[in-house]
Amino acid sequence: MGLLALGTPLPWDEARKHADQVRDLGIKALSRVHVGGRVTQLLQIWNKYRKNERDVLLWGDEIEYLVVAYDEETKNACLSLRQAEILAELAKDENLRKAGGGVPDVQEPADISEPLPTFHPEFGRFMLEATPGAPFGLTWKDLLAVEGNMKLRRAIAKEHMAENEAPITLTSFPMLGTKGVFTQPYYPSTGSQSRSQFIPDEAINPHIRFPTLAANIRSRRGMKVAINMPVFYDENTPRPFNDPTIDYDRRLYPEDDDVRNGAAKEGHIYMDAMGFGMGCCCLQITFQAKNITEARQLYDQLCPLGPVMLALTAASPIFKGFLADVDVRWNVISGAVDDRTEEEKGLKPQKHSRYVIPKSRYDSVSTYISQDPALRSEYNDLDLVIDKDIEQRLVGNGSRPPPCMNVGEVNVGSSGSLHHRCLGMDERLATHFAHLFIRDPLVIFQETLNESPDDKADHFELAWKNIQSTNWQHMRFKPPPPGGGIGWRVEFRSMEIQVTDHENAAFAIFIVLLTRAILSYGLNFYIPISKVDENMATAHRRDAVLTEKFWFRKNLFPPRKPVTNGSQTPAPSCPGTPPPVEDEYTLMTIDEIMNGRQDEFVGLIPLIESYLNTVNVDVVTRCELAGYLSLVSKRASGELQTGATWIREFVRNHPDYKKDSAVSQGINYDLIKTVEALGNGQGREAGLGDKLLGKPN
Amino acid sequence: MVSRYILSTGNVMTAGAEVIRKPTLEKSNTELVNSLRENFKAASSPALPPSASPNPAATSGPEIRLAPEEWTKLGSDGVLYVPAESSEPHGLAEDREEYDVTVKLFYLPGVPSSSRCTHTEEAVRLVCRELGISSIDLLIVSFPNISFDAEDEDISSEEDVSEWVRTYRTLESLHSAKKISKIGLAEFGTTRLSQLLPQTNVKPSVDQINVRDCCVVPKPLILYAKERGIELLTHNDCTDILPVDTLRQLVVDEFGLFKTDAKLVPQWVVKYTAVIRSRGVVENKGQVN
Repeated sequence: MGLLALGTPLPWDEARKHADQVRDLGIKALSRVHVGGRVTQLLQIWNKYRKNERDVLLWGDEIEYLVVAYDEETKNACLSLRQAEILAELAKDENLRKAGGGVPDVQEPADISEPLPTFHPEFGRFMLEATPGAPFGLTWKDLLAVEGNMKLRRAIAKEHMAENEAPITLTSFPMLGTKGVFTQPYYPSTGSQSRSQFIPDEAINPHIRFPTLAANIRSRRGMKVAINMPVFYDENTPRPFNDPTIDYDRRLYPEDDDVRNGAAKEGHIYMDAMGFGMGCCCLQITFQAKNITEARQLYDQLCPLGPVMLALTAASPIFKGFLADVDVRWNVISGAVDDRTEEEKGLKPQKHSRYVIPKSRYDSVSTYISQDPALRSEYNDLDLVIDKDIEQRLVGNGSRPPPCMNVGEVNVGSSGSLHHRCLGMDERLATHFAHLFIRDPLVIFQETLNESPDDKADHFELAWKNIQSTNWQHMRFKPPPPGGGIGWRVEFRSMEIQVTDHENAAFAIFIVLLTRAILSYGLNFYIPISKVDENMATAHRRDAVLTEKFWFRKNLFPPRKPVTNGSQTPAPSCPGTPPPVEDEYTLMTIDEIMNGRQDEFVGLIPLIESYLNTVNVDVVTRCELAGYLSLVSKRASGELQTGATWIREFVRNHPDYKKDSAVSQGINYDLIKTVEALGNGQGREAGLGDKLLGKPN
Repeated sequence: MVSRYILSTGNVMTAGAEVIRKPTLEKSNTELVNSLRENFKAASSPALPPSASPNPAATSGPEIRLAPEEWTKLGSDGVLYVPAESSEPHGLAEDREEYDVTVKLFYLPGVPSSSRCTHTEEAVRLVCRELGISSIDLLIVSFPNISFDAEDEDISSEEDVSEWVRTYRTLESLHSAKKISKIGLAEFGTTRLSQLLPQTNVKPSVDQINVRDCCVVPKPLILYAKERGIELLTHNDCTDILPVDTLRQLVVDEFGLFKTDAKLVPQWVVKYTAVIRSRGVVENKGQVN
């Protein structure tokens, strides 16, 4: 999450009045077109990118950390709220290095010229995000550097923390929002931004953007967010389970009525603040494609893998101190930023809202965007809500189609002047953007509304980012930013962060290699997108990785290209009838999807191996890659446990656990210590983490 | 009477499901045979729109085939091409310098080593023509009957070594003619390398060993290779890439290309891959023999 410039954020009542203005600016950024109708430098930028046909593969991962702080006296593992101080320390060292110094006391790899990783703030004041200092390429050297780079990031982060603090890679902090002390320092949960019963505003990054985001989501929605995750019923869990931590009598804010009006559901763990979701850590991978066509292809092809990889990386079985009956974070975040009004959710007759919107801003993708002929119209089977006006502006002047309808091209009218209303984007891509634009911008800075003529590009770009960056779908399509140097990118966002860097590297590398196999073999993963939604729900179920089946395409290969022999008459032009869409996919276990099913389905890991057997790979690389692929394969087959299963088992086997679903401070302390140790590669000789990672070599 | 035949797979990367099966269980001679079969099938079946049978299960019905002369072609060089070469322009989608083109040539058992020189030149010429290029980046040669064993390696006989050297001279001359940029060997352990290397002028850049052993490569080999700037690469090709019986079953029994009493002697197999350097995308991979 990039930080926008500081300024004066508008409260929701003000911000809502400027929503259309921001959308208008945003769409201009997208079209990179000057309002005045002149062909400007902006157009040249756009054209330059459009023609950018051969960008190399660059990619990067984002690792999100929770910063924990131990209180050894009370044996309590808390979240440290010292994000700002830690980042300041990191920045100091970065400057030092720029000036020819180095990061003292940090074990760095021999190559000192390697750019230092970059650290970023996140929504939670107890979080850090770290990315590699420079994007990775596709040399084997780069692939093998990933894990080391992740370890370096962890080591550098740790070096800049207090003695009792540590960065851990855990998807959700088990004690977030519990009644006891779970932050250091402690604050009571009485803040006015979130108005949460459970999480103090002080746990939010104090940069004004973040509290405003939380407050404006709440205001827009007309109540606090309400996240209900099913509780895991253990032997002694009271039935029915009614979340015992809810204070039904609090009367501090009007929103305290929420729980009295039934916001908390029976049998569920109830959470009432953005921090529960945005305080979760993810593993995200971004790729640069060679051109817009390939970016659209990768976006679509990776889309059906989102839920599969979510279930396979499942690592969050505890929320607010209770074992949940889900293994993943996704719906928690989805609910945590759901700013839809009752009308938009279709719960009340539509009076003020523009649309009825079926999904939260954070949800699975609702439309495919490629122009690949393999994309049958039946696959886009969701009734997509779009801003029709915006779609028209992107496609062109509704009544008169622009002369060329190519991918994202800007059309220059016959007179050589630019129609600013006539961008000529193809309908499919226009629909994608018009879908993003149904959302209101949530945080508007007063300063960005006052257009200054000098920096229009920035101005438009900010508005575009405002919309784009608060549409948290499981894939993200990223047009090149102005300024050059960066191409068309696609971000894969569904995976959960893993406890160790080895696992994180394994999943990152798996996805990278998979994209190479997709492009090399022309693989086709399309299934109707409504089935991807179904899979997303399935992925949440406890132990979905081993017990559930997911919709998946049966035949991943493109049809063989027709052979046109010299001696043969050309193929008749009448096209055959394609088989019914329903025959193209079936339900498969994740084991089958990953490892294959006899002769019926090849499996993604064998496919990647087939790719590796085709390209020149040196023995060391191949051996290392085999280790990563083996981890992914064994997670799928059940030979190794997912993080979620391992954590759940850790709690249930803990001597303090009373089989009542509740995770105590003591259990949490031991769990966090163990997670930290594993993250640092400790304890493996003693058998720690064997079920998660396999026996150490 | 035609006596020489060239069988080709076409681009394996786009051949789909029938070719790419579980590579962990099967070595790549299944890939070779499957892809030959699929390519022959496609060429020998009456033209059908591709969308009519995208599902492999749908192709299992009774097959109608064209007569062999309709899908094969006798070249002016007296060689019968199976299938007939496509009339479409060959070649790579992007500029030549975007690609790494690797060619692996398998010399087959039972073929006199004296013909390797001709075979090598022919194979390189064919691949260049297929891909529309004038030179290849890496040519790996695989000698018959040798396979790398991490545990122990025999000293090869002097005859063997002198045969390798004779073949290697061909590679060196292709190198000096700028037809190939780098030379590679397959399945050579330290002993074989140290027997061959002193007699070479252009040093090999690559030694390819079976993927099965890639995590148990003996340290001496790693050190030896490193010292001499030889990159150790992996492969999963079968040592016996095209047994006569398998070939006979395919071309005689399945496709009726030869009379049942015809004597078949596979001479060589060449496998080529074109990989887009900066993106790691394999665009074209095929095999000819």
